[in-house]
Amino acid sequence: MFLAQLKMIARSHNSHRIALAPSKPTFLICVMHSEQSGSTEESLSSQTDAELYLSLRAGRAEALGVLYDRHAGLVYGLAFKVLGNPQEAEDLTQDIFLNLVRSSAYDPKRGSLRTFLAILTRSRAIDRVRSRNTALSFWGRWKSGNSQETDSNTPLEYVFQGERSEEVRIALAQLSESQQQILKMAYYDGFSQSEIAERLEIPLGTVKARARRGLLKLRQTLTNYME
Amino acid sequence: MARSIPLEPSEHLQLMIAGYVLGDLDADEAIEFEQLLTADPAIAAEVAQMQNALEMSYAPAEVKPPSHLRSAIMAAQATETNPWRSSRPAVTRSVRRFPWNQALGAAAAVVIAALAINNYQLRQVLQASQTETPSETLTYVLQTETVEDASATVVVNPVTLEATLTVRNLPPLPPGQVYVLWTVLEQGAPFTVDDKSAILTEVLNVDAQGNAFQTLTVPKVYRFEELVSRVAITVEDATAPQRHEGAPVMITSL
Repeated sequence: MFLAQLKMIARSHNSHRIALAPSKPTFLICVMHSEQSGSTEESLSSQTDAELYLSLRAGRAEALGVLYDRHAGLVYGLAFKVLGNPQEAEDLTQDIFLNLVRSSAYDPKRGSLRTFLAILTRSRAIDRVRSRNTALSFWGRWKSGNSQETDSNTPLEYVFQGERSEEVRIALAQLSESQQQILKMAYYDGFSQSEIAERLEIPLGTVKARARRGLLKLRQTLTNYME
Repeated sequence: MARSIPLEPSEHLQLMIAGYVLGDLDADEAIEFEQLLTADPAIAAEVAQMQNALEMSYAPAEVKPPSHLRSAIMAAQATETNPWRSSRPAVTRSVRRFPWNQALGAAAAVVIAALAINNYQLRQVLQASQTETPSETLTYVLQTETVEDASATVVVNPVTLEATLTVRNLPPLPPGQVYVLWTVLEQGAPFTVDDKSAILTEVLNVDAQGNAFQTLTVPKVYRFEELVSRVAITVEDATAPQRHEGAPVMITSL
């Protein structure tokens, strides 16, 4: 079965998983927190993201905990980078995971959950930054909260570039400008392929092909740097 | 489009995997990808590698969130998906006979255990440069039926009695009125309370957008979790919030 086959994906994401504190008996006054939740989550932990998502949509609340354990580091890390404030990052992280329960926007057959979460998080975080009174406050927080070198006039999409390793920069340099632009528009800005096609005035098929070939090129170039 | 060009199977598959990782498979491709995965489970490992390549290039490093966040999210989910629990808490409480001995015994045991755990954690914190909030926290999620989109969460460390209060989307009040956070105790709890069994815990400073984030020190009753019946927010007269005249605008649903 498709979902069962995806189990290896979940297992392969161990490197992304966050080592959160196990759910010990605590003071936590939490409606969900029962003695059974630990063992239930344990049985869920072998499921793929897609299976967990479908379980969650079907009402199995514990699935959210497992998904959180796998992807909270990615979501919180992205939120914190854009918002520059731990409290706002927590707030957004909570919204993103609760949104998984409420919304059926994610289609597990058409794409990975991590990419869906990353695009959604970045998009929502940028919305929040833009809704602040002035862009200046964002850059003030960014600069005060991070030691990375940033130019106050740096466009938002370049915020993360300073953190890239030399290997990644070399790999990106091997992509065509169009491939880089399309990947940025898809992963940074959260544009759909059809929106990108419209904005760049190129056929949808070309957008898809360039995005996929660009990512494949990155994958091939970075092979030696990935475990 | 990629599929219109004849490709070697391996490259075709690789591009399909890239499409899955980018989240842009169309309906036909999704079916084909499902079949490919079924035929060769090892493809899943390649999906993970492709995902890794994308995130190495375009995502920042992962950051471990504070440990209390997971609990807060699970609690919020529970109250969202189980409205019965939040709408009828009084019924369950009214039929429950309060197990004083068990509660106090358990609370004492829990405090002892918490102190031991906390001591261990403090040692770990000293050893590690990474600072983090203690994992042993009480999370109170306040609900409302009157104010759309409003939310409030109180996270308490019952050992230090330090707490953080996060409020969103509470409508700003006219001059002369303030929001007040109350701790409502179980009947007969051995603490000094007002005529509504409540302790005034904090006067909120909500900004123009209706948001607040405050750190505060909570009453000692939080060391005995069973004695805390509710946590609530009311609107009170700014000159005399202790009168406790307002009805709750937000309240927990234990």
